Amino acid sequence: MLTQRVAWILWPAFLVACAMEFVFFSLFDPTEMHLFGEPLEASRMAIYSVGFFVFWAMGSASSFLTCFLQRSPWEVNRCPLPSAERPEGCPKREEPGCCN
Amino acid sequence: MAETKPGAQGAPVSPLRPVPAGAGPETEQALFEVRRKIYPRAVHGWFAGWRWALVWITQVIFYGLAWLPWNDRQAVLFDLAARKFYIFGIVFWPQDFIYLTLLLVTCAISLFLFTAVAGRLWCGYACPQTVYTEIFLWIERRIEGDRGARTKLDAGPLTARKFGLKFAKHSAWVALAFWTGFTFVGYFTPIRELGAEVLGLATGPWETFWICFYGFATYGNAGWMREQVCKYMCPYARFQGAMFDRDTLVIAYDRSRGEPRGARGKKADPAALGLGACVDCEICVQVCPTGIDIRNGLQYECIGCAACIDGCDQVMDKMGYPRGLIRYSTENALEGHLDVGGIVKRFVRPRTLVYIAILTTVVVAGITALMLRVPLKVDVIRDRGAIVREVENGEFENVYRLQVMNATEIPRRYRITVDGLQGLYVASDAVVDMPAAGTRAFPIRLRVPPGSVAGGSQKIWFNVTAEDGSGIHVREKAAFLSPKKEQN
Repeated sequence: MLTQRVAWILWPAFLVACAMEFVFFSLFDPTEMHLFGEPLEASRMAIYSVGFFVFWAMGSASSFLTCFLQRSPWEVNRCPLPSAERPEGCPKREEPGCCN
Repeated sequence: MAETKPGAQGAPVSPLRPVPAGAGPETEQALFEVRRKIYPRAVHGWFAGWRWALVWITQVIFYGLAWLPWNDRQAVLFDLAARKFYIFGIVFWPQDFIYLTLLLVTCAISLFLFTAVAGRLWCGYACPQTVYTEIFLWIERRIEGDRGARTKLDAGPLTARKFGLKFAKHSAWVALAFWTGFTFVGYFTPIRELGAEVLGLATGPWETFWICFYGFATYGNAGWMREQVCKYMCPYARFQGAMFDRDTLVIAYDRSRGEPRGARGKKADPAALGLGACVDCEICVQVCPTGIDIRNGLQYECIGCAACIDGCDQVMDKMGYPRGLIRYSTENALEGHLDVGGIVKRFVRPRTLVYIAILTTVVVAGITALMLRVPLKVDVIRDRGAIVREVENGEFENVYRLQVMNATEIPRRYRITVDGLQGLYVASDAVVDMPAAGTRAFPIRLRVPPGSVAGGSQKIWFNVTAEDGSGIHVREKAAFLSPKKEQN
């Protein structure tokens, strides 16, 4: 379940980051950008690469919030049942005897 | 697709047998789901031949084009560091963004058109995911054997032989993935220099990173993820249905001919046994790279690779039945029993005509714009420091900054002239030598004799003309400021 969530967060963000990278750096030249009033000193390749990961991180944050907010009340509230007695399919269910 | 109720007239529907997730010994927890590991069986035939042809064509282009020289440079190079794209004889600058946009729109509309006519042709034959999975599967087969041998190998304990085979397979995969990553980066940084750097282990940090990143993505996607990319990660797979209609060619199982399915001897008469043509050998399921049963009808997981057609045709040949129990067909053809001519006739329909009209417009507009494109760009910026000053003889002078971009690959000399005001002339050097595919910015001083200006801001024109008679010419508007008369 955790790996699935991670994939749901990272993958759409990756796609969006690719599109953002393409559009943003087609329109703006990294060597003409300023950071806190100072021109960026890094090479274009470095800025493209860092830019890509910034876009990816932002997209991931958005996907993370989507995943976080779409959880049902049952996932958010504390469950009254012991973990082994939770119904089948419940993400919080654990096999009987596995974790006491 | 119209469903027939069990018991109603016509062929009975084969019941869907849901398999609980996590069942069976071949189950593994993969990235996206509890996944039944798929061991696609090798298939030969007409469509497999086409897929391999497409693998060759796309990969000869991909791996080869990066090495093709053109005018002492790489023929296709997206030089991100210099923000110039070289595509054969043309150099594109960031200002030419519109062409890239038009190209992407063309690709998208072509995809829609192909999909409307013949389903997921792209997915089944040309998508990099399909192509690399095919190549990686081929390596896997060469080393570990076909479906049966692989299933047995995976189920068995870790022996020296198993370790050796797995090691050989992954080494071959990694080598190919690395080469793919290297080629990919070679489209963004000159590949010959990059090759020398790789051999000398002297690649830059970002180049190293992106070679590894792309290589790892290839290895992961084609070696491990495979059909999961199509089933869970690809947005196109989810919306391709929007382009489908009842006349779209899809891979379809001819239910009316196949059902009721059942095993029988080669010499048995299916009519006497009350059976259809499907011998229920499950070859179509075994060859399917996404592990679906096409006999359950069209599913979004089907990437349209036609492996099941090849597989089924072989079985039909063995049984002495006519081919095409699984075939490319349309919903209308299956129901109305249209012949091939009828299917082809219906390729022309409002949906495809609209796609063709948009596609033609975009392509014609793009090519026309490219033909009329002037390989010279001029920006005029007024000097912010001095607005206007009076010089000797009472003349007024304005200073501008000219940004000239020579988008051709030939060094050229340009002459700058001005008009729009009587007596206006270029007081600084009016000739500029431009390097090949280069930009230059320089100040330029314009003067006008006293008495020939009305005062205030007046429209003038800069003309930048190539001196070599090539006819390259740009006319750019600017404003000339002079003091108002009453202030004199």
